[in-house]
Amino acid sequence: MDTLVNVMHGFGVALLPVNILYCFIGVFIGTLVGVLPGIGPISAMSLLLPVTLSGTPESGIIMMAGIYYGSMYGGSTTSILVNIPGEAASVVTCIDGHQMAKQGRAGPALGISALGSFIAGTFSLLALMLVAPSLASVAIAFGPAEYFSLMVLGLVVLTFLTQGSMAKALLMACIGIVLGLIGLDSITAQPRLTFGRMELIDGIGLVPVVMGLFGVAEVLLNTEQVIKRDIINAKITQLLPNKADWKVSARPIGRGTLLGFFLGILPGGGAVVASFASYALEKRLSKTPERFGHGAIEGVAGPESANNAAAGGAFIPLMTLGIPPNVVMALLLGAFVIHGLQPGPLLITQNPGLFWGIVASMYIGNLMLLVLNLPLIGMWVQLLKLPYNILFPLIILFTIIGVYCSSNNVFDVYVMIAFGVIGYFMRKLGYEPAPLVLAFVLGPMLENNLRKSLILSQGDLWTFVERPISATCLAFALVLLIGPLLPSLRKKRELVALDEGA
Amino acid sequence: MPEKSNPHLRLNNSELWGGLIGLALGIFVIRSGIKLKLGTINDPGSGYVLFYTGILMCLFALTIIASAVTEGGPSFGSRWEGARWTRPLILIACLTAFSFALEPLGFLLSAIPLMLLLLRAIDPVRWTLALPLAVLAPLGVWWVLKHALLIQLPSGIFEIG
Repeated sequence: MDTLVNVMHGFGVALLPVNILYCFIGVFIGTLVGVLPGIGPISAMSLLLPVTLSGTPESGIIMMAGIYYGSMYGGSTTSILVNIPGEAASVVTCIDGHQMAKQGRAGPALGISALGSFIAGTFSLLALMLVAPSLASVAIAFGPAEYFSLMVLGLVVLTFLTQGSMAKALLMACIGIVLGLIGLDSITAQPRLTFGRMELIDGIGLVPVVMGLFGVAEVLLNTEQVIKRDIINAKITQLLPNKADWKVSARPIGRGTLLGFFLGILPGGGAVVASFASYALEKRLSKTPERFGHGAIEGVAGPESANNAAAGGAFIPLMTLGIPPNVVMALLLGAFVIHGLQPGPLLITQNPGLFWGIVASMYIGNLMLLVLNLPLIGMWVQLLKLPYNILFPLIILFTIIGVYCSSNNVFDVYVMIAFGVIGYFMRKLGYEPAPLVLAFVLGPMLENNLRKSLILSQGDLWTFVERPISATCLAFALVLLIGPLLPSLRKKRELVALDEGA
Repeated sequence: MPEKSNPHLRLNNSELWGGLIGLALGIFVIRSGIKLKLGTINDPGSGYVLFYTGILMCLFALTIIASAVTEGGPSFGSRWEGARWTRPLILIACLTAFSFALEPLGFLLSAIPLMLLLLRAIDPVRWTLALPLAVLAPLGVWWVLKHALLIQLPSGIFEIG
């Protein structure tokens, strides 16, 4: 009954005209960045982080959340029609989605992708409503040792799932922690690694780091390649899947939804892992696995449902524990902090309007996305024809503006350009930026909780092992750290490794 | 990914240099941690986490170096094989020039040439489109920020914008 009252309260907040407007802007921009290759939800969210300052916390966070789940919808359009994933979570949709489009079935592919996403999104929201408050009440009992161990686990999971050498990913995570510690020490107020520069006293901003590593570096990488677009030019008709399509897709949608939701909750996991896992699962369960890769609709329905369910699930650790499970959620945490709010176990009780408002807005956003992605599909197809040589100077211009506006400081523009160049060389040398960014956000929290637990336990390191939750997290982290040394686990890791951690 | 070639130690092995840079950074972080005071395990100081993170960085960097020495790795040249590497180089040069010009010249006087360079120098867009786009995009953004969002972009020594 309480949940129902809270949900009604949430809809009361979400249905305010200003929040509907922000939600629409969010899902529209999300679809846009999902559709456009070369710019993803991370770049778009960091670009718009300063805009959230102008409104209420609800409006800003509703918009940011909209960009995230909106990009999951939009990403499938490019995968199906152009064979270029708009963002990392749609990579797997290219395989069967584009084949369907080539066979003249672009409509049902787009339709099942949007409808599956809607079903998964709805389920993950219902689960979020039920799980988050219960988990938050448990999380109140968490001490610094538990928080420290959970963050360690999150970082280790992400490094485990990052493509390439795990040593490189761990090195990146360590560099992220060090970068996060630049500025005044929160306990002793001693400046650290500031090199006498006043601009570094408050630390390096999240926005210039993310915009540099993901926005500018991505543009640098894209300019050195010839982007070939194999756009399906035939008119898209019959968007609604037929009875046979539904029959084969119903179970993959259900399985993808459940799998995606649980993988989304895991720290370090997220939409990308979920989509790959769902594809692998469907192929394994199929009676005709040879159809996969040649236009099997299950290969679109499962992963697309999974990545949307994961996008919803990822809100749980952020809202209940205050720990972002991936880079996108780290940016959302940034939006909360800008407004002086701290997500965590007390958020739901202290700010019920905000929490339930965001949840309700996500449902409204999912409905908006259904309209944006089905009847308006033609508009997005036209957008795909925008040449990259016109698009990338505009992306550069907007990243510069976005970074400057986040702090009104030219120094941040220099930081962004520097991180853009560093990010480009990092990627060329096989160092992924996602662990760095997550560690950059978690670094100060990780240090704070480590020092607090050591002070509280009077230097007794057993405090991390004596507490069951902390011990479990550390044990999992240890397994993942030593796992790649075993050939069988190394093979599995290579199979699920990601391009980006988001 | 470029193929791993000669397993013997070569100076242009990119993996080796990546590891060495990581090692140098790790040593620097350890040194900074010590300078900031480690404190004790009962009462960790400002440099405590930095020091141990630096040690971890050195360990991971040494792993990368060891793997580069024993297994070899792609050369710098092979990392850029088939890539149009001059384009990112031009873009980096443009962005560096822009960062130097932004404060003294202001946003409009530095962003318009930057846009024109990006539109013409990398994958040339025809002049009739490049010119209006290079002028109108920064001008439009400046106008919206100044008049709608009340955000003042740098105006430079000429106070334009």
